[in-house]
Amino acid sequence: MNMRQRVPEIFLGLGFVGIMSTLYLGMNWAPSVSINAFESPAAQRIFYWHVPAAWSAFIAFGVLFIGSALWFFKRSPIGWRLHVAGAEAGLACGLMTVWSGCVWGAAEWGTPWDWTDVRLNTFGLLTLLALFLVLGRQSQPDGVETRDTFSTFGLYGFVLVPLTYIATRIWQIRHPGPVIAAGDDSGTLQSSMALVLLIGALSFTIFIIGHMMISMRITHLEQRLEQAQKALDGGN
Amino acid sequence: MEGTNYLTVAYLGMIAAIAIWTWTVVVRSRRIEARLEAVEASIGIDPAQADELSK
Repeated sequence: MNMRQRVPEIFLGLGFVGIMSTLYLGMNWAPSVSINAFESPAAQRIFYWHVPAAWSAFIAFGVLFIGSALWFFKRSPIGWRLHVAGAEAGLACGLMTVWSGCVWGAAEWGTPWDWTDVRLNTFGLLTLLALFLVLGRQSQPDGVETRDTFSTFGLYGFVLVPLTYIATRIWQIRHPGPVIAAGDDSGTLQSSMALVLLIGALSFTIFIIGHMMISMRITHLEQRLEQAQKALDGGN
Repeated sequence: MEGTNYLTVAYLGMIAAIAIWTWTVVVRSRRIEARLEAVEASIGIDPAQADELSK
């Protein structure tokens, strides 16, 4: 195996170590929140997983959008690989975000989900979109029509990303408002909390880039395998 | 204490999930690579040429 093939695995390893370090720091080093501000202050530490996972989900959905556009408008094979990688990474990060949010919601709100909260539901829809794209691609034969259909979903589905981002700024129902980049003094974090969050965001970013690189490579190898098998069948 | 239990369940579940996911993807990549090498070798395709064909 050459160095180029090892790069995604190095990213995955570094990202995984970073995520574990974030969890350790979040559990043992970051300060506790005020017991008056939360119903379940200990569960708040899930924030060090939930926020970076959501951040990496948005990166993955951005890649999905770019890949879909590149395939749909330019017929770029790399665009299709980006689409596949973005959908898979978006699904994984979306599920991590939803799962951690549900666990926190159960501890803090007494219910894992609130069907009236816009942020929860738009993000849930994004994750369902990624699930549809991943399962749909696996159940359909590969071809231009299939790619066009899924790319269209990738393009139009992206509208949920800015909607999810602004949801708590416009309609704050259950989900807490922004704690960073709030645009005023309402969303400030203690420096040690912000540091752990930053390490988490970087680690998740490295980890998800590694996953998308390896996913793109798998799609490329599958295409080559299909070509080789066609040649093999044609030769017999 | 209840909050800590929730946190532990969540963290353990997610650590296991990302570890299994990562392991599955790496193994899948290596398996396809080995299969491809075998198929390409059996029909005498140069890997560089196959790369071009798949584009």
